[in-house]
Amino acid sequence: MKKDTLIMSFESSCDETSVAVIKNGKEILSNIIATQIKSHQRFGGVVPEVASRHHVEEITKCINLALDEAKVNYEDLDAVAVTYGPGLVGALLIGIMAAKTVAFAHNLPLIKVNHLAGHIYSANFVTDLQYPFMSLLVSGGHTELVLVTAPGVFKTLGDTRDDAVGEAYDKIGRVLGINYPAGKKVDQMAAVGKDTFDFPRAMVQEDNLDFSFSGLKSAFINTVHHADQIHEELNKDDLAASFQGAVLDILSNKTFRALKQHPVKQLIVGGGVSANQGLRKRLAKDIEDKNLDMELVFPPLRLCGDNAAMIGAMAQIQFDKGDFAELDLNADPSLDFDME
Amino acid sequence: MKILAFDTSNKPLSVAVVSDGKVLAQMESTEKKTHSVTLLPDIQACLKKADLTAQDLDIIAVAKGPGSYTGVRIAVTVAKVLADTLNKKLVGVSSLKLLAANGDKAHILVPLMDARNDNAFAGVYQVNRDDLRNIIEDHHTSMAKLFESLQDYNQDQLEFINATPRLQELIQNQFPNAKIIMSENSLPDASKLAQLAENTKPVENIDDFVPTYLRLTQAEHDWYAKGHKDDGNVSYVEEV
Repeated sequence: MKKDTLIMSFESSCDETSVAVIKNGKEILSNIIATQIKSHQRFGGVVPEVASRHHVEEITKCINLALDEAKVNYEDLDAVAVTYGPGLVGALLIGIMAAKTVAFAHNLPLIKVNHLAGHIYSANFVTDLQYPFMSLLVSGGHTELVLVTAPGVFKTLGDTRDDAVGEAYDKIGRVLGINYPAGKKVDQMAAVGKDTFDFPRAMVQEDNLDFSFSGLKSAFINTVHHADQIHEELNKDDLAASFQGAVLDILSNKTFRALKQHPVKQLIVGGGVSANQGLRKRLAKDIEDKNLDMELVFPPLRLCGDNAAMIGAMAQIQFDKGDFAELDLNADPSLDFDME
Repeated sequence: MKILAFDTSNKPLSVAVVSDGKVLAQMESTEKKTHSVTLLPDIQACLKKADLTAQDLDIIAVAKGPGSYTGVRIAVTVAKVLADTLNKKLVGVSSLKLLAANGDKAHILVPLMDARNDNAFAGVYQVNRDDLRNIIEDHHTSMAKLFESLQDYNQDQLEFINATPRLQELIQNQFPNAKIIMSENSLPDASKLAQLAENTKPVENIDDFVPTYLRLTQAEHDWYAKGHKDDGNVSYVEEV
């Protein structure tokens, strides 16, 4: 019988400090997440220097909680993994220095993990992945369609040309008086409202797989400002529903365009915006309407946002390949997959 | 007593392994390299040269700031995780005190770090019975205010350490007879850090150990300036 592999993984690319212990890339023994949302809400968005400071405050607490909850010791571990990009450089460095230190102190191999790959492999805790599969990555920093052809082999098919989808939610949220992160509240309002404003669906006619949200965002903000100037009261729920309607049309259009070019058996959605209920319902309905024989996988809500468990899932693939990093590992804030 | 000491508060990097007062290994770098890349390989190389493993150490000593925010965080993160993960004693020493250790024992020592716009991080130290004592706490200050607080001292006694050309110019205008050591001649020395650590109380709670920034972030500063207050002991970070 193959021996179990235990990996301790670190994630600190933005405003969550997270340490996990993962068994065989499949089973979460612990997944400690310390979120800084309350802190950054003071400023209406993530302040990088504040985020870095919080990571230093939290890091050893998270490590010890992760070991305690998993009921393991350092001697039980087989490797240490860490997100090395993309993300905020000062924030990434805390996880990287901590992971390198643990690896060095306990003579464990070090694995450097791409944060985006982590989001994709959150699905590994939900289902058995069948290659090739399609992945839609939607978060505050990313909007990408990625084809995963084999374990750990990624091809970016499409990317955002301007704002990430989660970023657009936060920006229009501000106009509606909703504090960061605005996605959940806008999603709830959209469920109540009606799509009455008919905002533009950028690039949906174009035969590429790229996204654009800045035109939608501007149209939204202009509509609200214009109404303010003529003292007209707009229905906020309808505004939210109209914004989300456009977002879902764009995401759906490009995703199924990609699936037509690359027919696969699984569509994996990952990243913070994958918690969006409207998106979950929409993609499920589209698959049903199109009569596609395809499994739609969303991570459980706890694994939609940034977390170290997903880093451990991806790290297992690299562990099996012998893909290890050295102690001179540095952060790569703009790391991305290769474009096709 | 085996001590691993390191400082990455500013551009220079210094790592040393010291055993019972004897320097077993030391590495310095003044070139512009990335501390995040070099610190752990340098620690590894120093321990190897000293023929020790991390497990053999008794104390991890770190220069805890002030300094470059990112630089200080790199050293403090490695120090606190290393001490925590191996169950070792952790000692934090002021990065300014470490610079003061480069000064003349007979002088009133004023270690500095240029914080731009004629501001500096500075402290005032004096050697008393072989012990480097802090007489004005480390703080972020305008150079003008710093000079004011030094008026009562005989300027022949003053020694400014780690000056940039701009700070040198300001000091010379105010105290033409004071001694000034420029940055390139006052590199932090981790073997001195190990020495200072022997006489410093270890950190009681490693989890709570953070860099001494001596400044709020701009965002927090602006937030408080608008009249915001923390309501009670609000926790900005929560486990979810």
